[in-house]
Amino acid sequence: MAAASPALARRALTRRLFLDARVRTLSFAALFGLFAYLQPVAYRRGYPTPASRAAFEHAFGDNTAVRLFYGEPRDLLTVGGYTAWRVGGTLAIVGAVFGLLAAVRALRAEEDSGRMELVLAGVVSRRAAFRSATGAIAAATALVWLAETLGLIVGGLPVGGAAYLALATASVMATCAGVGALAAQVAPSRRGALELGGGMIALLFLARVVADTARGAGWLDWLTPLGWAEELRPFTSPRPLVLVLPSLATGLLLVLAARICSRRDVGTGLVDARGDARARLRLLSSPTAHALREERTSLAAWGLGITAWSFIVGVLAKTSSSAGISKQLDRELGKLGSGSITTSTGYVGFTFIFLVLTVSLFAAAQISAARREEADGQLETLLSQPVCRRRWLAGRLALAAGAAAALALLAGLTTWIGVHAGGVTLSPGTLIGSGGNCLPAALLFLGIGSLAYAAVPRASGWLTYGLILGAFLWNLVAALLGAPAWLVGLSPFAHVAPVPAEPFRAGAAVVMLAVAACSAAFATQIFSRRDISAA
Amino acid sequence: MPALDAIAGPAAAHVPIGGKAAIRTSSLTKRYGRTVALDGLDLSVPRGEVYGYLGPNGSGKTTTIRLLLGLHRPSAGRAEVFGHDAWHDPVEAHRSVAHVSGEPLLWPALTGRETFEYLARLHGGVDCAYRETLIERFRLDPDKKVRALSKGSRQKVALIAALATRADLLLLDEPTSGLDPLMEAVFRDCIGEARQRGQTVFLSSHILSEVEALCDRVGILREGRLVDEGTLRAMRRVAAQVVEVTFAHAAPQLPALDGVHVTTAGAKALRLAVSGPLGPVIDALAGHEVTALTSREPSLEEIFLHHYDGTAADGRR
Repeated sequence: MAAASPALARRALTRRLFLDARVRTLSFAALFGLFAYLQPVAYRRGYPTPASRAAFEHAFGDNTAVRLFYGEPRDLLTVGGYTAWRVGGTLAIVGAVFGLLAAVRALRAEEDSGRMELVLAGVVSRRAAFRSATGAIAAATALVWLAETLGLIVGGLPVGGAAYLALATASVMATCAGVGALAAQVAPSRRGALELGGGMIALLFLARVVADTARGAGWLDWLTPLGWAEELRPFTSPRPLVLVLPSLATGLLLVLAARICSRRDVGTGLVDARGDARARLRLLSSPTAHALREERTSLAAWGLGITAWSFIVGVLAKTSSSAGISKQLDRELGKLGSGSITTSTGYVGFTFIFLVLTVSLFAAAQISAARREEADGQLETLLSQPVCRRRWLAGRLALAAGAAAALALLAGLTTWIGVHAGGVTLSPGTLIGSGGNCLPAALLFLGIGSLAYAAVPRASGWLTYGLILGAFLWNLVAALLGAPAWLVGLSPFAHVAPVPAEPFRAGAAVVMLAVAACSAAFATQIFSRRDISAA
Repeated sequence: MPALDAIAGPAAAHVPIGGKAAIRTSSLTKRYGRTVALDGLDLSVPRGEVYGYLGPNGSGKTTTIRLLLGLHRPSAGRAEVFGHDAWHDPVEAHRSVAHVSGEPLLWPALTGRETFEYLARLHGGVDCAYRETLIERFRLDPDKKVRALSKGSRQKVALIAALATRADLLLLDEPTSGLDPLMEAVFRDCIGEARQRGQTVFLSSHILSEVEALCDRVGILREGRLVDEGTLRAMRRVAAQVVEVTFAHAAPQLPALDGVHVTTAGAKALRLAVSGPLGPVIDALAGHEVTALTSREPSLEEIFLHHYDGTAADGRR
């Protein structure tokens, strides 16, 4: 047998880390490609004439609510300009999440599982392992970049512009992968790294939101990779020199991460978790109580993020309620599937559609947490006790549902506080109602997620996340594409009214809750009949 | 620790089911896709017995335990624990069961003491005083988080939690993996105590000396089937005897004999595994200058290897 070659081993490790995340990478690539393809097509269909485009631009030119999510539109008269704004704005955020997930998985998950010790016991040095992981992340990013580029090209955009716009997205992915790489070195565990990195990305997003909405805060755009992606200005007035910023930032973050990586103990972070602790015996009385104990940090993080976000949304309600926005806007926004935003209530209704998404993603995260307890084997220990399987799953789902409800109502309440601070009068009941309006859809996804967990445990995580993101994006483009009503209606998001701008759709809510309850009941049935499967 | 004392209860709060076997399986079969992990297992372990469950890697030992715990569903046949169906009625069955797996899968964020508390509440009643003694005897620091513990120490946490339940049935799947010899001795003492208390122990193990020292009865599993079962004494009687012969000169070529497997043990010595009567061997040796001849019963290891290899026991390799 030939002597083990470090170069070969490194390449093998890169390949393994890349393949390890292949399902996630391919899902993101498909999502990016599809979304990039659909947007320009939808724009051409929705606004075929220069006159309709001018009307659209006039309507959107200065709207706060829209800027909040998609960033600042620079040119809405051309297919390229529109695509740069919609695709660039949305995918930059999704790309940020992708970069974080990819980095933490490649750099930390392997270590937490103990497999990295196996690798490092061989001819691969820690530095080489770090480089291999970086290589795997780069390959995944390149794949997603390629998918977005191809999607744009098939959508009818020129090759060069398409590649450049996708590069703007990729620059966010790379920088956030750097953030993830650093978090993976600092935090004591994979989960801690995700929470730390997620918090940092939320701040970067917040900086972009403020830069694009608040007067005189435009300079903040230069402090966040999401802002840099905007400043690259694809399709309008490209400034490729701006690429220096994300390149530098990524490089710096990676060098810093590599330095820490070469100094710290394998399996721990720079901030090590305390090994000793006095016994705290609260929340140990049942599996559900213990699940709450395990999830409380994550719950607090979600709560904090949603609070900050809702407060800002609330404060900004004032700017969007000013008159002078064309009535055209209502119709145009109808095409975007978002309802009216010309009034404060309309604005709140519009922003709360994104809360539906957020709370649904929280539900998916809970499904993933349940699956992780099984994959890591603790569920086996638990079910070796006199613990009923059905009750375990039911308790877990009840906890997720309760927490989702708390988050939704918290969002309503903090939005009201923000609105109130901004000097707009809306009753707290109205806004808490808007929060509650998010629940049926989120619970529907929780129910479907539980079904996925029971039936196909290994695929349940990405299936649930994919379903939610797919349904959300489909709702964004389906109406613009002129798809028939039943096809648009496939997405649960299509059945959530922008409360308080429109009345609560009780019928749809009842149907969604009924489907959710049936799914959950069915899921506990299936779960009680299958083998417990560790990873 | 008042909170701990509060849940200290009598050792076994439930009503034991008199007369029923602790473990009974009939034609228990488990298939994973095309792989047959367990093939028609018929097993019966009476109450109070310490049963050793042996088998090479992948022979179906852990599968058996998963089926006994109702974690996996039998493809055919059934398993009962104290008369409760392991799959359909796991909660009832588990009230009298404590389980330790070779890879202790605990919650990394909990300390040892928190783990004990959690598992005690789930099980419903443990012997807290005994637990404190166990913590001392196993020399465990219960205030360390599980994530900061070594594999051996995590194993101790799992063992202490299981033993402290004083459950009627201990299902132990390679419970001493990762323990040092001192701790293994403590473990053996604990199993001895459990036996004296009338607890049933189902011990799946690779450590033959451990099984030899502890178990009343032994079952040997191979490729999902029970290939041998019985008391060690009975097994020894049935299995091949080992005869070692030393010659004055170079070892001769013996004629082929039924039920005798010959291996060389040095230039002047032969080792014979004899499954039948010794007469033909003695006859064959006549005429050769024998300087020493020893005969002994096979060790458990030799019995095990005999089944493992599918050939006659041929001593240590």
